[in-house]
Amino acid sequence: MKQDKLIYIHPAPVRVWHWLNATGIVLLVVTGFQIRYAEMLNLMPLKNAISLHNYAGFGVIATYFLWLYYYLSTGKITIYFPNLNTFVEKAVKQIKFYGYGIFRGEPNPHVMTPENKFNVLQQKAYMGIMFVLLPAQMISGVFLWKVKGYSDYIHLLGGIRLIDTIHVLFFFFFASFLVVHCYLATLGHTPLAHFKAMFTGYEEHH
Amino acid sequence: MKKIFPLQISIGWAIVFACLASPPIARAAIENSECFGCHSDASLSRSETDGVSHMSEQLFIDEEKFSHSVHHHNGIGCVDCHADIKTLNYNAKVPHAKQLAPVNCTMCHDEATAAFKNSVHMKIRGKGITMNCSACHGYHYVRPEESLTVMERVNNGCAKCHNPYQSHDWLPQKNEHFAFVECVVCHVPEAPRHIHLTFFDLVTNKFYTGQEILKILGIAENEFIPMLDTNKDGIINVDEFENLELMLRQKNVHAIFHAELVAEMHPIVHQVNRGTALRDCTACHSADSPYFEAVTLVLTKDDGSADHFQVDRAVLESFSLRHFYALGGTRIKLLDKIGFLLLAGGFSLVLGHLAVRIATIPLRRKNEYEANQSSIQEEVSK
Repeated sequence: MKQDKLIYIHPAPVRVWHWLNATGIVLLVVTGFQIRYAEMLNLMPLKNAISLHNYAGFGVIATYFLWLYYYLSTGKITIYFPNLNTFVEKAVKQIKFYGYGIFRGEPNPHVMTPENKFNVLQQKAYMGIMFVLLPAQMISGVFLWKVKGYSDYIHLLGGIRLIDTIHVLFFFFFASFLVVHCYLATLGHTPLAHFKAMFTGYEEHH
Repeated sequence: MKKIFPLQISIGWAIVFACLASPPIARAAIENSECFGCHSDASLSRSETDGVSHMSEQLFIDEEKFSHSVHHHNGIGCVDCHADIKTLNYNAKVPHAKQLAPVNCTMCHDEATAAFKNSVHMKIRGKGITMNCSACHGYHYVRPEESLTVMERVNNGCAKCHNPYQSHDWLPQKNEHFAFVECVVCHVPEAPRHIHLTFFDLVTNKFYTGQEILKILGIAENEFIPMLDTNKDGIINVDEFENLELMLRQKNVHAIFHAELVAEMHPIVHQVNRGTALRDCTACHSADSPYFEAVTLVLTKDDGSADHFQVDRAVLESFSLRHFYALGGTRIKLLDKIGFLLLAGGFSLVLGHLAVRIATIPLRRKNEYEANQSSIQEEVSK
């Protein structure tokens, strides 16, 4: 019989960042819906939703820099960069697993290690999110926070309508991603395994 | 007996109506030129002293500036307002009374007066503060304000006494509201208002006047709408709006449309009252808000007046207007549809995958059982 093996995958700074970021993103999504659909939703007054959205936004920006500092200073930032030579092959395997193998009980082709905790699809997705989407969302959010103060930059970038469109489309993406992300987190060896690991830092290997 | 023709009767009634309908101003036989005979002298002033204090008052009136005033444009002469001057006595040192009666604007502006009487600015008289029309409008150089930006309107009026930053603590994004929304839009919610679209040059940081725009387009004022409104419905729709921008670009003019929410020049704007200001954010920041129903393209004139041309509200909710967005209120509906598809896609993916996961539980149990059986057999055979 194989023995369960605990591997320390998520160091404390990453766990702290993850849950702070998660809290911020959830607040941003909820208040984002309230702000955009004030005539339909009544979760809180619009004024409070805007204030909370602003605070949560700056919270996420602060935690982003915590994340960036940790991964740059430790050199672990490379875990976000897929190896282009093996990317296609590994991506096909991973897609086959999620679309077919997982239903048959086949093992995950990606084995999580502290140095390589993401599969190639995760690498690609998180790289896009952390290096493109989230920074774009943060910058557009700051511009929308002080439209008058940043009007020169906003005009330079094509106008407030464009900035808002980027912010709204990425908002919907993050809202949708939140749902998919939470679901994918249930695909561990037990539905709660990955959730526990993000609190304890230890993933169980089978 | 002399026969009276229907035409003569009509003319008679027309004269009667014309007399009744004319403004209640009895023009004295004193021309403005007589007044400017003395008052165009820049050094003209009067002073009084009671031995303790000294008072000096400038009596010079800039004729050029007065000639651009709304009153002059409407044929209102000096003695129409200074109605206590009936005659001029040129034998006297001062040809009229030294101390004139206060000008009574209410003689003509009855609707504005009624609104003002029901305002906080009238009520403060009970506290010993007297606020006259001139406190906001000035005296001799009152100009039309239709063409003014929010900043100019506020500086000409409310900001003379009020510093908006000392209040409005409840209001998020104060700067943005103060920059794009005229005070009375919120402080007199019943006042008619519209989105005011003017031409702004980002390179020179200046607004184009209507005359400049017409000159750039090479057309006369009366050709503007016929050229723009190609479907002849009297409203500038999204396509026509985009055509205008294209025409300007073809003339190498990269003007943007600067949008502001302003009140119309309606007497009701004088009815500002404490506690009645709009505080409901969703009144503006919600889809189909009535605050964005009226949209006008404005060709400003040098005298402060402006020509307004009705614009389809859809322009506010399109990419044609790239430099204005009121949170929620002028949102692009297409983005909502894309957002719905993104969310629906995410949920469908999750629910579909979860359903197959649940449906294939027996298969995984069977495979696991067979795998366990084969491993046991392997161990036994060893």
